[in-house]
Amino acid sequence: MHDHQLQSILRHMPAGIATLLGPELRYGFVNEAMQMLLGGATPTGEPLAEHTGGLAADLLEVMQQVYETGRPYVAKAYPFSAPDPTDGVVAKRYFDLALEPLHDENDEPQGLLLFAVDVTGQEEARQRAHELSLETRRLDARLRVLSETAPQITFSVDTSGQYEYVSPQWYYFTGQPPTADLNAIWPLLIHPDDRLRVLYQADAARAAGVGWSFEYRMRRHDGQYRWMLSRALPELHAPDKPVFWHGAVTEVHDQRELAEALRRGEAELRFLADSIPQLIWTATAEGFIDYYNQHTGDYTGLSAQELGPTGWVALLDPTEQAAAARRWVHCVASGDAYEGLYRMRRHDGQYRWHIIRARQLADSRGLRWFGACTDVDDQHRLREVLQTQYDELARTNRDLDTFVYTASHDLKQPLFNLRGLFEELRRTATFQDSEQEQLLEMVDESLRQLDGTLQELAATVQDQRELAAPTEDLDLRSVLEEVLLGLRTQVHEAQATIDLELSAAPTLVYGRANLRSVLHNLLSNALKFTHPARPAHVQIATSLSETGQPQLTVRDNGLGMELRQDPFTSFQLFERQNPQVAGAGVGLYLVQRILDSRGGHLEVTSTVGQGTTFTVHWFE
Amino acid sequence: MNHIVYMSRAVRPLSDQDLQELLDQCRRDNALHNVTGVLFYSHGNIAQLIEGESSIIDPLYERISRDGRHSNVTQLVNKPIPSRSFPDWSMAFHPLESEGFTALGGFLLPNQVPPTPESLTIADALLVDLVRQAVFGADTPTTPSPSLA
Ligand SMILES: Cc1cc2nc3c(=O)[nH]c(=O)nc-3n(C[C@H](O)[C@H](O)[C@H](O)COP(=O)(O)O)c2cc1C
Repeated sequence: MHDHQLQSILRHMPAGIATLLGPELRYGFVNEAMQMLLGGATPTGEPLAEHTGGLAADLLEVMQQVYETGRPYVAKAYPFSAPDPTDGVVAKRYFDLALEPLHDENDEPQGLLLFAVDVTGQEEARQRAHELSLETRRLDARLRVLSETAPQITFSVDTSGQYEYVSPQWYYFTGQPPTADLNAIWPLLIHPDDRLRVLYQADAARAAGVGWSFEYRMRRHDGQYRWMLSRALPELHAPDKPVFWHGAVTEVHDQRELAEALRRGEAELRFLADSIPQLIWTATAEGFIDYYNQHTGDYTGLSAQELGPTGWVALLDPTEQAAAARRWVHCVASGDAYEGLYRMRRHDGQYRWHIIRARQLADSRGLRWFGACTDVDDQHRLREVLQTQYDELARTNRDLDTFVYTASHDLKQPLFNLRGLFEELRRTATFQDSEQEQLLEMVDESLRQLDGTLQELAATVQDQRELAAPTEDLDLRSVLEEVLLGLRTQVHEAQATIDLELSAAPTLVYGRANLRSVLHNLLSNALKFTHPARPAHVQIATSLSETGQPQLTVRDNGLGMELRQDPFTSFQLFERQNPQVAGAGVGLYLVQRILDSRGGHLEVTSTVGQGTTFTVHWFE
Repeated sequence: MNHIVYMSRAVRPLSDQDLQELLDQCRRDNALHNVTGVLFYSHGNIAQLIEGESSIIDPLYERISRDGRHSNVTQLVNKPIPSRSFPDWSMAFHPLESEGFTALGGFLLPNQVPPTPESLTIADALLVDLVRQAVFGADTPTTPSPSLA
């Protein structure tokens, strides 16, 4: 090969080539690439030290040493500021710099051969790789800290189900030694009832290349089975199939127990609601019914779906629906309890009376409505029947009163006539027989009694009509004096002494006519049944009951009587209290009715031959 | 002919602009498919009644329930009705700025909502009155349904 040909090749080589001659390392041959590296100024024959062209002092030193020792050296990835060979932009570039000593024929040092190869690409890649590995190590450390301090067990498992990694928590939890064979032991720690399911589900997920999430019981170091949640995701290296699944196992035992308890509680309540023969339902805060119990379905013949959130209103009697709906909207808005009496249609079309009640309950789970419809149809009908019967009775009673009143009136006239006729007969007829005289006396007496009874009958009915008269605050003494004034003949006849002791309850709120009637009857009784052997003594006193209610006692020293059922004798109409004395029955009957109508009662104690005491309890 | 009523919550509060767009789109599409009804909106609460052939409104409800603008979509009823109760499609809401909206067709202020149509059964009128109350609150004066009056 010709010398100049070789020179031309060397000159255009993409690597830098230069020779440095003599101990001063003077520039010899410098090709283009090397000239670029040295910044262009490489005058032949001049020492390198005077035209360093950017070479660092340490490199010059090394070159000197290579020259002196004759031992070659390669400086790896030596940085230069050099133009990029493609775009000419000057930047930091890296070169492998080979320093080769040159010798003459006598093996004497002659100079250095400098050979520079651009290794920028490799160097940068190496540096990147270095940084990456640093970062990876950092991340790896962080991941390890995280996975070993998190409360979960973390794991990695490969396609075949072999555990690649499990965090130390697994060993703490299971109590297994660090030498335990993970793949053999783990399945054995799963609760027998869960094992097959868990292994199958994990296997299926791995086969399908998807993640999983399931719960199972795992045996803890103390032998207790605890509920765990296992979740894992595949690590995907597209387009390849996943090679690893990474996941965590979290203990969820307490949450699950709690949820289970809640579910059980709810199921039990539901069961309870479904067992009650009433219509039970719940509604959302907005007023939409979201649960109807079993009985609702049985009663209405409609499913919860058919009833829907507001369908209940259609079960009511059509005339009551609008008002019921309006009331419900109002209650939902205001939170007021809902209550009403409605007819509700049964599956067979019969309407039955129900009390519908609903109340709001607000707790941590929000606001809900709880409602019940109670069938009160039987009670309702019974009440209606009773009401009708009561009305009927009241009417009969009124009719009876009217009848008695008119009858006593109507009888008065014939009696009057009879009396007149009898007087006439007595005046004109003469009787021989003294017994006949006595007979006449008896007829006369009977007529008088009949007259008296008729009058009292009329009075009874009259007073009866005043039973409902308005009440007023009455001064007992003045009413009593009024009554005694009316009875002055009887008082006189009986030569009676009357004592009044009214200070305990001097006034009384009562109907005036009623009060007068009661006093009149009791006093005339006392004056009627006097003992023939002694003058009458009547004591009238007021007192207060244990509950503070006013009472009145009328005590006489008269004949007394036999009481059939001490001391609460009730007086039947027309029953004679004392066979010797006329017309006592009606009066006491009347007293009793008056007291009754105002919520009070009459009590009597009596000793034959000594006297009688009536106690009036105005109110219970 | 069926109607569907549902309630939902807006994922984020809808601006007047959002509502305007929704109204425009719904009016156009609903008119095209013979869908009528009403939408109530206030402070993130949404309730809507749509009526039409179930072959139309069932898939429409499917689409609406998957719409990302709202969540917690709860269907209250989906049942046959003898006839429509709403002549067209409208929307009632509390606008942030009420001027401007009052003039627009299809927009109603809550207190302008016409009474719940009498053609609804009492159970359905009750349902509509309850959803309206749930959306606008109990304090907003609304005309009660004449069938409940
Ligand atoms: C609250 C709400 C109500 C909507 N009501 C209707 C409606 O009545 N009619 C309708 O066509 N789209 C309605 N949309 C819009 C639909 O969800 C859906 O965006 C629209 O039908 C376009 O669907 P497409 O993009 O799949 O064609 C409503 C959306 C929301 C958030």
